[in-house]
Amino acid sequence: MKTPPLLLFAALLFWGWLSDLLLVGAVMGALLEITRLTTFRWELDDTDFNRIWSFCVVLNLVLIGYVFTNNDAGGINGMFHGKTLATAANSGVLTAIRFLRWLPMTTFPFIFAQAFNERPSVPLTAVSLVLRWRRRHGDRAFAGRYLDISHSYFFVCLFSAGVHTNNGGQIYFWGLFVLLAWALWFVRSPRFGIIPWLLALSAMLAIGFGEMAGLNRAQGIIQNFNAQLISYFISQRTDPLQSMTSMGRIGLLKLSAKIVIRLEPRQPGDAPAYLREASYRNYATQKMTWFAGGGTKDFEPLTVEQDDTTWNLLPGKKAASRVNIACYLNGWSRELAAPEGVLPLPGGCARLENVPPYMILKANQNGAVLAAGRGLLMFDAAFGRGASLDSPPDVDTTNHYDLSVPTNEIPALQQVISEMQIPADANELERRRRIEQFFANHFTYSIWQGTDKLATPSTTPLTKFLLTSRSGHCEYFASATVLLLRQLHIPARYAVGYSVHEPRGSGFVVRERDAHAWCLAWNRTTKTWEDFDTTPGSWIKVEGARTAGEEWLADLKSWITFQFAKFRWRQANLQQYIFWSLIPVLVVLLYFILFRRRGKLRRDVKNKNLPGAPWPGLDSEFYQLEKKLAARGAPRQPGEPMADWLERALAEPLLNDLRSPVRELLRLHNAHRFDPSGLSAEKRQQLKLEVTACLEKISTADTAKKLR
Amino acid sequence: MTLLYQFIYWNYRVTSGLWHWSRRRFTRAGLCAVVALLATGAVGADVENTVSFQSFALLLAMLLLAVGFSFRFRGKFSAHRLLPRIGTAGLPLPYRVRIKNLSPNVQAGLTLLENLADPRPSFADWLGFQLAEGKRVRPFRFSQTRSRNPFRRANLSEAEIPPLLPNGEVEALMQIFPLRRGILHFAGVTVARPDAFNLFRSFIKVSAPQNVLILPRRYALPPLALPGAARFQQGGVALATNVGSSEEFVALRDYRHGDPLRHIHWRSWAKTGKPIVKEYEDEFFVRHALVLDTFDQEPNSEVLEEAVSVAASFACTILTQESLLDLLFVGNQSYCFTAGRGLAHADQMLEILASVKNCADKKFETLEHLVLNHASSVSGCICVLQCWDDARKSLVEKLKLLGVPLLVLIVVARGEGISGAGGMFTDSEGILRILEVGKIEEGLAKL
Repeated sequence: MKTPPLLLFAALLFWGWLSDLLLVGAVMGALLEITRLTTFRWELDDTDFNRIWSFCVVLNLVLIGYVFTNNDAGGINGMFHGKTLATAANSGVLTAIRFLRWLPMTTFPFIFAQAFNERPSVPLTAVSLVLRWRRRHGDRAFAGRYLDISHSYFFVCLFSAGVHTNNGGQIYFWGLFVLLAWALWFVRSPRFGIIPWLLALSAMLAIGFGEMAGLNRAQGIIQNFNAQLISYFISQRTDPLQSMTSMGRIGLLKLSAKIVIRLEPRQPGDAPAYLREASYRNYATQKMTWFAGGGTKDFEPLTVEQDDTTWNLLPGKKAASRVNIACYLNGWSRELAAPEGVLPLPGGCARLENVPPYMILKANQNGAVLAAGRGLLMFDAAFGRGASLDSPPDVDTTNHYDLSVPTNEIPALQQVISEMQIPADANELERRRRIEQFFANHFTYSIWQGTDKLATPSTTPLTKFLLTSRSGHCEYFASATVLLLRQLHIPARYAVGYSVHEPRGSGFVVRERDAHAWCLAWNRTTKTWEDFDTTPGSWIKVEGARTAGEEWLADLKSWITFQFAKFRWRQANLQQYIFWSLIPVLVVLLYFILFRRRGKLRRDVKNKNLPGAPWPGLDSEFYQLEKKLAARGAPRQPGEPMADWLERALAEPLLNDLRSPVRELLRLHNAHRFDPSGLSAEKRQQLKLEVTACLEKISTADTAKKLR
Repeated sequence: MTLLYQFIYWNYRVTSGLWHWSRRRFTRAGLCAVVALLATGAVGADVENTVSFQSFALLLAMLLLAVGFSFRFRGKFSAHRLLPRIGTAGLPLPYRVRIKNLSPNVQAGLTLLENLADPRPSFADWLGFQLAEGKRVRPFRFSQTRSRNPFRRANLSEAEIPPLLPNGEVEALMQIFPLRRGILHFAGVTVARPDAFNLFRSFIKVSAPQNVLILPRRYALPPLALPGAARFQQGGVALATNVGSSEEFVALRDYRHGDPLRHIHWRSWAKTGKPIVKEYEDEFFVRHALVLDTFDQEPNSEVLEEAVSVAASFACTILTQESLLDLLFVGNQSYCFTAGRGLAHADQMLEILASVKNCADKKFETLEHLVLNHASSVSGCICVLQCWDDARKSLVEKLKLLGVPLLVLIVVARGEGISGAGGMFTDSEGILRILEVGKIEEGLAKL
């Protein structure tokens, strides 16, 4: 190897240390360095290197397949790295990371073969299947060109050592600097002395350090910007802390027909009407935004059952209905380095079952459940009427969140309430019925937002909606209803989620345009929160009509995305089948790679020992003719061409007639012996018959000669 | 479409130029560092899961420093090549270069590089090659090999320059590996100095224009029994000079129109009063025609190059066998060069073959006309053809009718085999041979 002594050992040790494979790195390094102490070498040829490289490639593929399909972070994965959410969840990134991290290990057989080979280099053709294939077919490109890969392997080690989670440390930087300086020392130009070289090295360190700090900062800025950019363009995700409404904006509300949730009720009729993601308590009229009333710390981790797949949200509650839900988690948790999102759950959800392992679930007081771990989640939700995760209204506390109404909305609300003519002694149920009737009779659904809904210094969009326009989308209805209920002393909350109404097969699909807002009203009798939706039922028709033409295309796209997501996030069993189906293929491949040649040699040896091994053309009758002519006193000289000898052997006047047919027989004999396609049955017969005829003629000539 | 081709052509020019530049500017360690920089740059974008951005930063600093070093190289040199007159394609050509240090400083740790004239083709040549290649090789067919470096003239190597004292002169041993025949133009030499890390080199270019003629690549031929036998040759001894049974006086006879004046026997004329000439024994020797098919639309055709190589192989072999050889081909005009038996030597024939170019503006009939005119004086004819179409078949048929013994070699493109010859064979006499590019030597060995 051309690398300086112990450099590869140090590089492998460094890699092993940073990759939690210190022992493996040390052993590999020692095995490579030992070549400097021993004279033992193999004589590997190009074919051997081809096989070793194939083995490395197969090894890499197996590892990629294994890491990608591994669901429970066990096996080799678990052997080398601890089980964490990050290692268990994010298969795409982790597959690439692990593949790169283990590169020195998976390519080790190749460098090891070079180190212990008589000629310490590898053939260039070994690494390309195309070149190998062409070479087998006579192409001589790159033939005889060999390369010492020890320096490349050194870089691979350094590269792979850097593939580990960034915990803000600089160990990698300093280790890399030392190893690079070590390597550079041995290739330095003799033109420069030690001092200029050291100065250059110091400058390199200073610039590199500055760049690293700069890159760190730049990356942070770009990533933040990137996150904002993505959240702007890509599908919106529900923020459990706040919900900014589109009230007061101008233009057409645009929501696509993309399928975002799929439901499969366990029993027909079990499907919920709404899937709620979050609910909010405080309305900031200036920002037209609803707030949950708590911070991120408001979320409390939920605990999982022993089986690692069941999450009991409301212990003790008996849920009559069950529905299987498949939804995407579109957010990203920086803390967990995994996808994150709010789960769309039916009201009164008591338990989540068959949730994939290694998920983290949290819930807040408003009943929002935040999940992290996978981009696609498929689970069963058990739900029923009655208790829910939502905290009871805080009517008795000082905050009165669930009864608070912004002061600037009160005049409009009072005006509307007086218009409703609700009797003073009406109970809560009657009040709710009056509100529902009022909206149904005087309001229409519209997704077009004109300038008449723009906020002015004196009037809010909600006031305009209630008093003048009386037309709007679900956010207007839900916000107005919540505030009206509160004004009528009924605790209420603003809820967002999806409406479930489109059957598909045995289940339902929920599109992005089915996103909906409604309100939760507190029932003092049952002490539960109840869904209360005043948006006119025509909204579904209006939304559906607008995107009907593009629906099939969106469905196809959504289906492909869903299938891919199922595969990617290991929600389909297909991955496991793929992995296990790979095993027999790999076994066969390995057999061919490792043992085929030996088998071939064995076969050859076996064949050599066999008496009368089939040699094409050995059964030719022409040999009898040759023998006969040689016996007549004209033996063939060593090296004498057969054609010349025949001319000589048939020079006798008595055999002159045989010259031409024997020439033809020689041609047939040669074809029988050397032509890969051999002789046809007809020609073969011709050879046999004509040789017999010639032999007879020679015998006749001999007899005639004797008689004379 | 032309715009697209132009775009691809300029893309080719830029990338090949960039690759040439980086191969010369960066040392092997430097190239490794560049590849590592790109890899860490790609992976380092994910700063959460990897810390490769740290290695990116360090490698970038290292390379920036190395490039920065290149701006401080001052020196003055003169160079003179001691170059042989000819070389051969496919064989290394060693030569020496004298370098003189014209600066007052000692120069050490330098490397010498050769500067060839820019081999990149014009757009027309490049397009011609691409179209021909496109016909031959279908896209995404790994089995069909594309021509590698079709325009590269030679592989160059570098040489270490021994330390140079002020006004000192040293010699560096250089070697090039010519890939194609023809004239190889040297533009100058470059004196390179690496940086402290030995990653990037700064250059001082010294102009030293020179040319060397590269002869065609030649293949070993088996002992040949060429078709045809010795026959009377007009011109006799004049073509044979001191070889064979020259100047064997036979008799005196009356002058016939056309007899050379130097054969007149003046004393007999004086005695008899009529012109009498001396009659010498007739000269009989083998005279072969080597017909080279140069009709190819593409100037850089691999098939033409191999056809020339095959012709050169025959030219060398036949000329060592005491016979005459007529080389017949068509370039700007029809050419016939005769060599052997004192007329010309093998190297002269090879020099002619080194300069043969494709003929794209004439028809094959021009060559047919030339060959048939010479058919009467040759003992046998070796035709090196590039395909087997009607025109070529017609030439072979006509030569057969004239009774000229023939050996027809058809050179076909790589991987095309017999099908690439473009026609059906009716080779009952065994005079046709297919030579596939890449397997020429094997093909010739079977002759």
